[in-house]
Amino acid sequence: MRRTWGAVAAGLAATLVIAGCSGRDLEGDNKSNGASGEQITLKVAFWGDMGLDNLKAEYEKAHPNVKIVLNTGEFNAQHEDLQKKLVAGTGAPDISAVDEGFIVQFRNQADKFVNLLDKGAGDYESKYLDWKWKASMSADGKQIGLGTDVGGLAMCYRSDLFKAAGLPTDREEVSKLWSNWDQFIEVGKKYVAKTGKKFVDSGTNMFNPVLAQQPVGFYNDQEQLQMDGGPKVAFDVSMKAIDAGISANLASFQPNWNQGFKKDQFAVLACPAWMLGHIQETAPDQKGKWDIAAIPGGGGNWGGSWWTVPSQGKNIDAAVDFVKWMVQPEQQIEVFKTVGNLPSQPDLYKDPAVLDYKKEFMSNAPTGQIFAATAAGLKPQYLGKKNGPTRVAVENVITRVQQGGLKSDAAWAEAVKQAEKVAKTGKA
Amino acid sequence: MSLTELRPASHRQAPPPKNVKTRSWLYRFDNKTVPYIFISPFFILFGIFGVFPLIFNGVVALRNWRLDDPTLTGWAGFANFSRLLSDEDFWNALGNTFGIFILSTVPQLLIALIIANLLNRKLRGNTFWRIGILLPYLTPVVASTLVFAIFFARDNGMANWFLSLVGFGEETPLDWRAQKWSAWIAIATMVNWKWIGYNALLYLSAMQAIPKDVYEAAAVDGAGPWRQLWRITVPMIQPVVVFTVILSTIGGLQLFNEPMMFDENPQSASGGSAHQFQTIAQLIYKVGWKDLDLGYAAAMSWALFLIILIVAGINTLLTRRIGGDR
Repeated sequence: MRRTWGAVAAGLAATLVIAGCSGRDLEGDNKSNGASGEQITLKVAFWGDMGLDNLKAEYEKAHPNVKIVLNTGEFNAQHEDLQKKLVAGTGAPDISAVDEGFIVQFRNQADKFVNLLDKGAGDYESKYLDWKWKASMSADGKQIGLGTDVGGLAMCYRSDLFKAAGLPTDREEVSKLWSNWDQFIEVGKKYVAKTGKKFVDSGTNMFNPVLAQQPVGFYNDQEQLQMDGGPKVAFDVSMKAIDAGISANLASFQPNWNQGFKKDQFAVLACPAWMLGHIQETAPDQKGKWDIAAIPGGGGNWGGSWWTVPSQGKNIDAAVDFVKWMVQPEQQIEVFKTVGNLPSQPDLYKDPAVLDYKKEFMSNAPTGQIFAATAAGLKPQYLGKKNGPTRVAVENVITRVQQGGLKSDAAWAEAVKQAEKVAKTGKA
Repeated sequence: MSLTELRPASHRQAPPPKNVKTRSWLYRFDNKTVPYIFISPFFILFGIFGVFPLIFNGVVALRNWRLDDPTLTGWAGFANFSRLLSDEDFWNALGNTFGIFILSTVPQLLIALIIANLLNRKLRGNTFWRIGILLPYLTPVVASTLVFAIFFARDNGMANWFLSLVGFGEETPLDWRAQKWSAWIAIATMVNWKWIGYNALLYLSAMQAIPKDVYEAAAVDGAGPWRQLWRITVPMIQPVVVFTVILSTIGGLQLFNEPMMFDENPQSASGGSAHQFQTIAQLIYKVGWKDLDLGYAAAMSWALFLIILIVAGINTLLTRRIGGDR
């Protein structure tokens, strides 16, 4: 008796294994666009929150044969992972987000991505901001990605903390407090003197927005390192802020920084549109305590991404369909409303749904108007191939100053040295 | 053939010689070969997952293999190794590794010895204490390190709270990650916390095998507890001491999880803003999987292998001296 049971169990197990294999085979062999009714799984890789949760449900409902798997991770890690899988030739997600800091690196490997122009994406060219469309294009005219969002740049501030420090709280008046970065640091000193708390989150979060406002960043379009231009200006501002003692010296996007939100360790935060989602997620109980003013120095862009489709995928056509669907106005507006990411299609800036939108979390600030104004008049900066690692290297020097391991007057020489090392080897 | 074989068969009764031959062959096979077949699964697996990667790693170390630049490929000779000698990151990481290694291994084994000695007495709730000291060892490294990372936080960290109780750093709290010495101490603390109990238990089991009359004789001769520990206990558990020294040498020089998770931004694998606590294992990971330079990373891991061999050898010699020959 026992023996028969054993045999039955073994038989069942074998059937299961066989069934499992065949199921996977079917899925793997499927190269069609999903119209045939076979099950397709699309893996989407990105970082933070790109507002896809609702879109996923909506799309799966409309396309019952498509299953979307969302894979969010750490910003740098996701890009490095994509690079590894591209070289390995296998394992890459069906769809991957790529940030502006890495887009040059990936557009130079355009043969590893689906050329979206072959899939009829050329129709979208006129809808995009001109520079956004061109930034994801390879030198030989292949389009590797469709733009999702642009960063824009503004200054988020805690109106409750401003009030406690005797500063104005209205967003117009706050904007008038700081037309340039020197004034901003002065306001910071006043705040610190009054409250005994720090004003900005970190020196690196001063450096990045100031750098974003410069005409030339780390590299010129000949891929030559230009430390004495924009980076020097931005670095000096960050050193001045650290020396003035207004920085809480927290490392961005890390646990201590997130804790800093909750413990009121800083009162302002340079915020591109995508930062709103992060604030909302990190400090959900601070609803109505944040507001948005203009950034000192006026305008600028920080971040913004593209959806790309690696050509090694097995369901390329289905992936392209999903990407096209995601960049349609309705979806872009929905993402804008849920997480705050600003679309990169200028027509949408005139759309009442964007223009009249008030973000409840940010004290009903008209985020559409604020960010669209900064993005529309933007002159984009060229971000070189090694922009990502160079930024990490210079940020590390700023962190060392914050930690007290390096004097601020010796820091610039060190920053140049580290940046040159990266420019030479490509490694931070 | 058949003739020669048939003839002797007619003289003998049974069994036929052909059968004898097969049987003796079977017997020999059973005796000589089967044991090897029985132990072969381990060696096959060890070959696939142990020896092969080791050799392959050696081959990779002699090649250019870069994932970020697939065109750069081919034999590199010893270029990767000579590059190692002038790489300040490597020497920095080596220094960090040894610093943390000494700060963790020496106190760890000494404290373990003392704890084991205490546990070797008659205590109430023996089992409770013995299991108690092993608990840290059962905690997953990542979980405990994450807790320690918060413990050693600059703002609102418990370590700084303790320091502030004795009046240190009330104005400007200590940033544990900023300086080499503080970061090393923090990481060594994590390692010690985890491994002291494990080593103590090993020592304890060895101590219990020491016959009691040796101690009695020593006590009669007037040796105090401290003298007994160093003159009797340590020499008599010497093989276990050597074992733990080698084991913690290997573990200490391969330190990875703790510095990795201790970093403000674990993803960067940089071991602090100026590589204050980047260990060699971390550097190998960074060079291989973040800079995507696999050939160079392979050369580094061979260098680490050699360093571990040398250090473990030196440590064994030293321990032998401490134990018996004095």
